[in-house]
Amino acid sequence: MPATGEEPGLEDLLAQVALGHEQAFNRVYDLLAGPVFGLARRVVRDRAQAEEVAQEVLVEVWRTASRYDRTRGSALSWVITMAHRRSVDRVRSAQASADREEKVSRMSGEVAYDQVSEVVATRLEGERVRRCLGGLTDLQRQAVTLAYYGGYSYPEVAGLLRVPLGTIKTRMRDGLVRLRDCMGVER
Amino acid sequence: MNEDLHALSGAYALHALPEPEVTLFEDHMARCEACAVEVRGLSETAARLAMGAAETPPASLRARVMTQIAEVRQEPPLLSDRTEPPPGEAVRLEPRSAWRRRVAAGLAVAVSAAAVVLGVVAVDARRESDELRQVVAVIAAPDARTVSHPVSSGGTGTMVMSPSEGRMVFTARGLPPLPASRVYELWLMGPDGVRPAGLLERTADGDTVPVVATPLRGDDRLGLTVEPAGGSDRPTTTPIMVADLPSA
Repeated sequence: MPATGEEPGLEDLLAQVALGHEQAFNRVYDLLAGPVFGLARRVVRDRAQAEEVAQEVLVEVWRTASRYDRTRGSALSWVITMAHRRSVDRVRSAQASADREEKVSRMSGEVAYDQVSEVVATRLEGERVRRCLGGLTDLQRQAVTLAYYGGYSYPEVAGLLRVPLGTIKTRMRDGLVRLRDCMGVER
Repeated sequence: MNEDLHALSGAYALHALPEPEVTLFEDHMARCEACAVEVRGLSETAARLAMGAAETPPASLRARVMTQIAEVRQEPPLLSDRTEPPPGEAVRLEPRSAWRRRVAAGLAVAVSAAAVVLGVVAVDARRESDELRQVVAVIAAPDARTVSHPVSSGGTGTMVMSPSEGRMVFTARGLPPLPASRVYELWLMGPDGVRPAGLLERTADGDTVPVVATPLRGDDRLGLTVEPAGGSDRPTTTPIMVADLPSA
């Protein structure tokens, strides 16, 4: 599994999928089912729900492959964005919000950080991702990982870390900018 | 203002913006090419974070996906002229769909009685958009509660109250026309007394333009009276409607 997702061919594979090639889709599945499922697991936590999200996203990739436009971004980003958006939508649905608010108010920043640092320290496989996250300040890293892996909105993150809203917005932005530069993402 | 909005790019790329701010930021991004370019780079960066979270899915997932795609028709390509897309488009992820869903869900809840309100909103396109936005925000709020109440002189009043918005919308249908020297006036009533809550503007077909009111803590009833043109500070006639506010 490439750490950067810049493996040549994912864009070309999607073009074949758009033409209905199931073999190409199988290969896309090989490359992306792990990150899609893992991300959904991280955000929604519940295994059965994460499987549902992953299934929805992968079928959506098949259904809408013709709509992917490589001039607008990488294929990895296209698929992962879909997976993250769906995972976040699911945990923020009206049903879940009450539980989450209660959870947010119960959790101390320390507890939340411990959960996430466990993720960062032991679960991250991408060497470059880990190294680059390590290059952030603590607050930048917490802000980015709680939002991305935790699926928390920035006001929730501010509540968890007991930091003003404006500070959290800024740390999310400058944290991502630093990650972008560290990972060498094309602009 | 722009600096404030611009600072949201990171939270937007992380899908960490609450819905109202998503709309604000997307509106801003549509006019700010630098923001759109930045968001695109930050979204690509965020996607890399997923590679670190990869986890092997159960084998049954592949079987389910492959079975399902055999039954799903693929979308045809969008026929475009292949010109360079506006940068903002690159990052418009299902733009505002969640907002639309919320509006739709809110409307479904409120629709039976609030159809009155919407009908009036629809015919009254002249209204200031800020006020219209407030009306829609109340009606579409997930916690919107709707109550209708008869008016003794004829017609029906409809209230939509949203505790989360802290506001309510009132409109009426079928009120008898008044002479030019008189006006319908709305009142918020609580233990501390009675406060004016707006004058009703009657449209040609007998509906009234929705009025947005902000009840204070303790306000528990809404009243309607006929007052001299221009309105009064205190009710001067017997109320033709006194209705309990919808409770949260």
